Amino acid sequence: MFHYNATNLPLQGAPGSLGRPAKGAAKKPPPRRRRVTLYGLTFSLPLLAWQLLFFLAPLAFLVALSFWTVRNFQMRPDFDLVNWATVYSNPVFWQTYLRTLVLAVGAAALTSLLAFPCAYAIAFKLSEGARRWATFLMVIPFFTSYLVRVYSWQIFLSDHGIINALLGRVGLGPVPMLNNTFGTMVGYLTLAFPLVVLLQLFSLVFVDRRLIEAAHNMGARRLRTILEVVVPSARVGLVIAALFCFILTFGDFVSPLYLGGGNPPTLSIMITDTTKAGQQWPRAAVIALTMIATLLAAAFGAVGYAYKGRAR
Amino acid sequence: MQDLDLTIQKGEFLAIMGSSGCGKTTTLRMLAGLEAPTEGEIRLRGQRINDLPTWSRDTPMVWQSLALFPFLNVRENVEFSLRMRGMASAERKRRAMHWLDRLQIAEFAERDVTQLSGGQRQRVALARSLVTEPEILLLDEPLSALDAHLKVRMQAVLADLQRQLGITFVYVTHSHSEAFSMADRVVIMSRGRIEQVGSPRDIHGAPRTRFVAEFLGSANIFSGKVIGRDGAHAVVETASGRLRVDPAARALSAGEPVTFTVSGDRVSLSATPPAGDLNVIQAKVVSEEFVGATTTVHMEAADGTELKAQKSHAELAQIEIRTGQPVFVSWPVQQAHLLPAAA
Repeated sequence: MFHYNATNLPLQGAPGSLGRPAKGAAKKPPPRRRRVTLYGLTFSLPLLAWQLLFFLAPLAFLVALSFWTVRNFQMRPDFDLVNWATVYSNPVFWQTYLRTLVLAVGAAALTSLLAFPCAYAIAFKLSEGARRWATFLMVIPFFTSYLVRVYSWQIFLSDHGIINALLGRVGLGPVPMLNNTFGTMVGYLTLAFPLVVLLQLFSLVFVDRRLIEAAHNMGARRLRTILEVVVPSARVGLVIAALFCFILTFGDFVSPLYLGGGNPPTLSIMITDTTKAGQQWPRAAVIALTMIATLLAAAFGAVGYAYKGRAR
Repeated sequence: MQDLDLTIQKGEFLAIMGSSGCGKTTTLRMLAGLEAPTEGEIRLRGQRINDLPTWSRDTPMVWQSLALFPFLNVRENVEFSLRMRGMASAERKRRAMHWLDRLQIAEFAERDVTQLSGGQRQRVALARSLVTEPEILLLDEPLSALDAHLKVRMQAVLADLQRQLGITFVYVTHSHSEAFSMADRVVIMSRGRIEQVGSPRDIHGAPRTRFVAEFLGSANIFSGKVIGRDGAHAVVETASGRLRVDPAARALSAGEPVTFTVSGDRVSLSATPPAGDLNVIQAKVVSEEFVGATTTVHMEAADGTELKAQKSHAELAQIEIRTGQPVFVSWPVQQAHLLPAAA
């Protein structure tokens, strides 16, 4: 599912967000009969096969698994609602669900806010050549494993780490930065920041510069122009970028465990704990399905909001 | 841009013309504060405004691209500058609706701008610029995206608005018809310099430089040397033969190089050599071009000089004009306009 959203939405989104004045907007192209051609099939079949094999089939299996039962640490195919009942009646699950949701929404908001000035500067303040370099630099973090990058943060953030050592020199600290929400957020930013900058950047470079001049000409100062013209013009890209951050962080296991300490857990940590505790794969499946449903709802909601009303 | 010295009167309709890259749009952008001159001053009511940022000047611009905000509806677009000035919502709406009404598009107030036709969007752009009731309006080829018939209608709308409101219009265009039909004064620019400033009638009747004459495109242009006098007239040796001009404005000495123009609507055409005190050139008809109520006849003299005449269809019907046929082009000596010496 995420593959589908990831590759298609921002690309389709960017031109729509331009809102270029369409000549004779009322004119609609005449309805064309869709015919299945060999040419079209050649290109669409791999995607269809991929989706069936690696998304729909496992999803179907996960749904089936959620109704299986476990006896004596043995899973057996069944149709029993007991896993759903157990998980959904457990207040710890709902607390964890809410915590994970708040963390992911917070990460999406924080990352978007921190990334925007960066993406804005790259899009509007840098020369063509410098912009190319900046884009390249934003891709570099993806060269190294996310796990390695998160581990290396421990060296900086721990009580005896680099940052606290420096703070100690000036008589401060130690400030706890590891095994708490701060640590988790640092990890989430490590994961999502470059991607969010890139996605924002791609929508910002398509903002019509003439609209910015027009806004200045009509009395809007720089900051006002950004809020009133740049952000609405790039809305689709900005929302999609935040959505990606949400998707990545909502399901992330590494940062909350290695930087956040894993206690209290997030849903992804809860899934691994559940599978380890007495082979409860069916209950883990319930949690996983709940997460997928949440992500689907978030994706539809965000895309719906991004394209709301205007400039399709 | 060099040596641009231009005073724009309050309430006048000034058109700036020139081919692309001549600096006409740059001039407009400097007035709006979107570009800064490297040297010199821009003054508004005698006060230097060079350092006033564009958002602090009340110099709204109507853009060639219109630059309407696609994420705002028609009314919100018109309200934009008022909102930037911190006006209260109710008053904003009242003023926006007033201007939409005045431009006859009030019924589209709540529509998306993408749902409007070209002409309607043009009106939204105008309303949006006029809503602050500025003293000056800058227009950058505002009609270039419109169909021919809409263009003519919008010209009338613009000219009426300017007259009724008494606002100064500075109108950049490359279209002769727009500039000469609407403007009180026309500025003709070339390569960052002003070639001529004057009323449409003055510029048409008396182009100051060869560039202006060529740019207007409606006149026959002759260059040559003065070789003598014939009574009150000077005789000029040109590539197309000896022609006489009235030196009225200045004394011409023998050997002096001169350029003069004869407007295409001042020349006569005839199949036989005309009688009278006229300059006559024999030429060959190259083509005829219908331009509304008149036809432009393009001709070529024996030496290759291009000649043209604008005639009404009725006039042309009396002369047998056929492509490739010889024709006599003639004009009374006084009809020639002598360009100033520097040209």
